[in-house]
Amino acid sequence: MTILDIQTRFQAIHGAAVTETAHSKHGVHLDVTVTPDRIPDSARLMEEAQYTLEAITGVDWLTEKQIEILYDYTSYASGTRIAVRTRVPRDNPEVATICTLHPGANWHERETHDFFGVKFAGHPELTPLLLPEDADFHPLRKDYGT
Amino acid sequence: MDEQTQVPPGLIHFALMDDVLNLARANSLWPMTFGLACCAIEMMATGAARFDMARFGCEVFRPSPRQCDLMIVCGTINKKMAPAVATLYDQMPEPKWVIAMGNCAISGGPFVFPGQYSVVEGVDKIFPVDVYIPGCPPRPEALIEGILELEKKLTGKRRWPVAPPQVQVTA
Amino acid sequence: MSLEAQTIHRETFVINLGPQHPATHGVLRIKLTMDGEYIYDAEPVIGYGHRMHEKMGENRTYAKYLPNTARMDYVAAMFNTHGYVCAVERLAGITVPERAEYIRVITAELNRLASHLLWAGAFLIDLGGFTPLLYTFDDREQILDLLESVTGARLTFCYYRFGGVCNDVDDEFVAGTRQFISRLRSRMPMYHALVTKNIIFRKRCEGIGPITAADCRRYGATGPVLRGAGVAYDVRKAEPYSIYPKLDFNVPVYPESDCMARYLVRMDEIVESMRIIEQALDQMPAGPVMAEKVPKFLKPPKGECYFNVESARGSFGVRAISDGTDKAYRLKLRSPCFSNLSLFQECSRGMLLADALALLGSLDLVIPDIDR
Repeated sequence: MTILDIQTRFQAIHGAAVTETAHSKHGVHLDVTVTPDRIPDSARLMEEAQYTLEAITGVDWLTEKQIEILYDYTSYASGTRIAVRTRVPRDNPEVATICTLHPGANWHERETHDFFGVKFAGHPELTPLLLPEDADFHPLRKDYGT
Repeated sequence: MDEQTQVPPGLIHFALMDDVLNLARANSLWPMTFGLACCAIEMMATGAARFDMARFGCEVFRPSPRQCDLMIVCGTINKKMAPAVATLYDQMPEPKWVIAMGNCAISGGPFVFPGQYSVVEGVDKIFPVDVYIPGCPPRPEALIEGILELEKKLTGKRRWPVAPPQVQVTA
Repeated sequence: MSLEAQTIHRETFVINLGPQHPATHGVLRIKLTMDGEYIYDAEPVIGYGHRMHEKMGENRTYAKYLPNTARMDYVAAMFNTHGYVCAVERLAGITVPERAEYIRVITAELNRLASHLLWAGAFLIDLGGFTPLLYTFDDREQILDLLESVTGARLTFCYYRFGGVCNDVDDEFVAGTRQFISRLRSRMPMYHALVTKNIIFRKRCEGIGPITAADCRRYGATGPVLRGAGVAYDVRKAEPYSIYPKLDFNVPVYPESDCMARYLVRMDEIVESMRIIEQALDQMPAGPVMAEKVPKFLKPPKGECYFNVESARGSFGVRAISDGTDKAYRLKLRSPCFSNLSLFQECSRGMLLADALALLGSLDLVIPDIDR
């Protein structure tokens, strides 16, 4: 699948905003924003296009009361890098898991849950990964410790 | 024998024997393979050919704490790891000694900031330490100096002379 | 046969590997559910070395964070600093002078050599051979002497700055590096004779620990793990950065997907790194080593960018999000060892424990890189 095909397929996802970015400035070739319910669709498209999930992380936008969840995909064959992002409300951050499609997401989602408290619905074992087993705090949230 | 030097019955004193035992213990410390983080690489380098800890008797690194008498804590202890470290220390038989190698083991190192949630600020918050070796990471020569300090603590004498600085530092 | 004998009750038992264990290269714990000597399930438990690097990225200024970057993957510390420094330079729009780029590549590739030599020694210790460690550490000490003369540190370098490097290299460094490379080149046949052709090593590595290309793609494994599975993906060729496009080097790939393939990839990468260093030393121009007018308290404009480098262990990525102040709003560190270890649970099923440890050693893990 060429990058153009992928761009078209992303644009066909309802509610998606696709931007072509300069790799030398942003480090990614394609930046896609989707609604949280479309994350499994985007993961399915990336799996079909033989892309690899490299990282999942979160960003806590405190003033906007949202947590942004970022998925970084890359293609071993072509070296193309795609970032897929979505925003969930801060008080109840929840998005569907993609670890059935990309098994590597299992640990990335556990880490994002550790640091931000994002619940990944359908994840087989959302227990702390980097924090102690009994941790109930989410340290990378901007209001942690205050 | 006069009154002051009456030895109570049933108590055996090893005056000279203690010195011999301490000399033997100091020159045959058996460290535990307990590398936590970056300082562990410098400990491995100290055990390798150039710096050669074996010259000082510390060659036999034992993985099992039951067989060691020296725990060189190299690296950061964090709150998830602290119970495991305490268990390892408790498992070591007496007499045992602890060297805190590196800034993290002394006081949490560069990872201490207000509101930090993960690092135990120094291994002496968990159990007593005999020798502190500062550095991030300390050079292998510093680790050897720490072991010689421990030997001095055990025997009361320092085996090797203190090397004066060779290079004159001009301001 | 009696009814009791026919219904033999099989039991699995759980044993704990680590977090203090000579073969785990740091504080890794693996909960092993064993069926005799065969692994039924191996669940890695991490977090024993978590040192809050991503949180510290938010409460330290960009420059004050530089020492942190060396303490993640401390065996190949230059790459982490390189990734971070380049990400911030990309955000702030700083251009690095050419001489500084060459110095960065030379010191980074020297660090790759040191890292692979350390890995080779440690891998052999896991398999039970102590001697190669002493040889590889001896070569590694010579690299550390060279790097210490330039950077001042042996392990956790803090040499790169935003806009270049903090010191220039002198002729002694250049001559010493050339001499070291010719020495290491002459020692490679010795390593192959001592280790690669050793029958015990071959029996413990050939056909052991298969990690296929499909496994790597599903878990995001990169670096020698991926190249040992036959996939020719190297960030220096896929997303070229610095002066790598001007240098001529190959990317070693072995299709066998076993421990031996991953070992051979790293040994060939040592040879390729030496070629890179020699070319860089030949091509390095004179000039400044620091960009002009880089503010002391860097405040990159609002924005976000990603930068990844080919570390000794795989693709190390930094995502920096700036909000215009002197501290990053969010610093995400994509660690190669994290993804490489995540495939261990699936790939070690049904293996003998000793073979699984060979597999673990061949993944080349540095646990504080996973735990950050």
